[in-house]
Amino acid sequence: MTTALSAAGLGVPGRLEAVSITLGPGELVAVVGPNGAGKSTLLQALAGLLPAEGGICWNGQPLSEISITERGRRLAWVDQEAHFEFAFPVREVVAQGRYAWGDNLDGVAEALAELDLTHLAERPATRLSGGERHRVGLARALATQAPIQLWDEPVAQLDVRHALEVLRLARQLTTRGATLVVSLHDLRAAYRFDRVLVLDRGRLVGNGKPHEVLTADLIRQVFRVEATFVESLVPELPSE
Amino acid sequence: MRQQAALPTLLALLALAFLASLAFGELRLGMGQVLSALAGVGDELSRTVVRDFRLPRALVGMAAGAALAASGVVMQAFFRNPLASPGLLGVSSGGALGAVVVLALGPALGWAATTLWALPLASFLGAFGATSAVLFLAQRGAGAERLLLSGIALNALLGAGTSFLLTTTVGHFEVNAQMLFWLMGGLESRSWEHVWMGAPAILLGCLLLLPLGRAMNLLSLGEQSAQSLGVDVRRLRWQLILLSTVLTALATAVGGIIGFVGLVVPHMLRLAFGPDHRRLLPYAMLGGAAFLLACDLITRAFPLGLRLGVVTSLVGGPFFLWLLRRPR
Repeated sequence: MTTALSAAGLGVPGRLEAVSITLGPGELVAVVGPNGAGKSTLLQALAGLLPAEGGICWNGQPLSEISITERGRRLAWVDQEAHFEFAFPVREVVAQGRYAWGDNLDGVAEALAELDLTHLAERPATRLSGGERHRVGLARALATQAPIQLWDEPVAQLDVRHALEVLRLARQLTTRGATLVVSLHDLRAAYRFDRVLVLDRGRLVGNGKPHEVLTADLIRQVFRVEATFVESLVPELPSE
Repeated sequence: MRQQAALPTLLALLALAFLASLAFGELRLGMGQVLSALAGVGDELSRTVVRDFRLPRALVGMAAGAALAASGVVMQAFFRNPLASPGLLGVSSGGALGAVVVLALGPALGWAATTLWALPLASFLGAFGATSAVLFLAQRGAGAERLLLSGIALNALLGAGTSFLLTTTVGHFEVNAQMLFWLMGGLESRSWEHVWMGAPAILLGCLLLLPLGRAMNLLSLGEQSAQSLGVDVRRLRWQLILLSTVLTALATAVGGIIGFVGLVVPHMLRLAFGPDHRRLLPYAMLGGAAFLLACDLITRAFPLGLRLGVVTSLVGGPFFLWLLRRPR
């Protein structure tokens, strides 16, 4: 079996303990857990952005053997925080996704369109709402055309329509063979992913298909919330 | 349209300031006299005034202005804060202390004859030493915040040392006056030695900075994002700190402490032409050079009264406030 992203005994002192996972190409993976459980730490460690213990492989190759430029081509990471201190136009920020490709602009226009930013392309990134800034961060990641995408709480600040569009985009990318790891707070959204990783106080306590992992018992134990499965309001994007 | 006008405008301003600094002074020369003196013809007096006095002074001013403004751009990208200035990591206060120490001890040690070299050298060593100390104190991780706090602490410490030497030498009027003069910056009596001390290395530093503009763009929007997009952030940060420190240290060594250039010039140009460091760096070098020459021209109108560092702040401060209040 080919693996897109794997970790063996991945740990960050005080924040994350010995996480071992193997994710395949085309997998849509949700990372859930309470605040402070280590979701962002896990994504940053997988992206090679933190000094970490244990081994990480991208496409079966140890991270230490992959040059920094090559890393920029293979994996894109989207920060949970989207702050821009300097007034670069949105288009310029998204075009930064092409840095590792010698700044050719392939896919920049498409990335802007996918995140509904075309009409904001010339606006300074400092003059955007919080949700719009998050979409800029996602568009920049998309522009890298990296086959592994790690998105840290991409929909927390988005309105219902844009949130659904981002999740649909994530699914679309996996159908083209990309591996997506997305941290989320919405357990209902996580239920529709291929795989769910549950973190609790820095430990991986669940890893598998959503209906096997996200049980009422585990949700009670990790989130200290009673969960029941009932019919409820389900927002969907209209099929075009 | 705006972008296309930037380079010609800045070049024209610099050329204007350059020619004006060759023409104005105690002896006022016409443009014809300046140009023929530059070409090595014309009367001997204007040849001497232009080639031996005003030309080195202008070249030192241009180099120092370019260095300070470029260094400001670097610090602002590095700390992701448009209010960062070249002196943040102790460069200027280190340079100040180095110079003041030489001035205080020099006469006793019989350095008077060598102060032409001793003063810039001590200032450069003080500046470089201060930043090295900040980097060492902030430790390996060298996160921006720790660097900043270490810089603040060291700036206070070095400032205290300078103040101490200033007050203890109050009785020695000559020494004390030299210190004060140096601490407020100035380009008077700069010679060709000063040009050779500062200008070539500054030019080299500027040339080495220019190709880093693209990576600085990414860094200025976040270290981790930049790293994940393929920038070798660790390496880039060292390059930036090193170049910025060398540039500021050289500018301080040949011109004394000149405040505000590194803050106001990049900020002004960023508001006018946008934040893209690929353009901002060369613009700041040209703009900084022109700004410092213009300020130096003002000091000439008040001989012995107005120091360069005072003028840069007097001109820069109100202009900066006006820029900030201007509706975007």
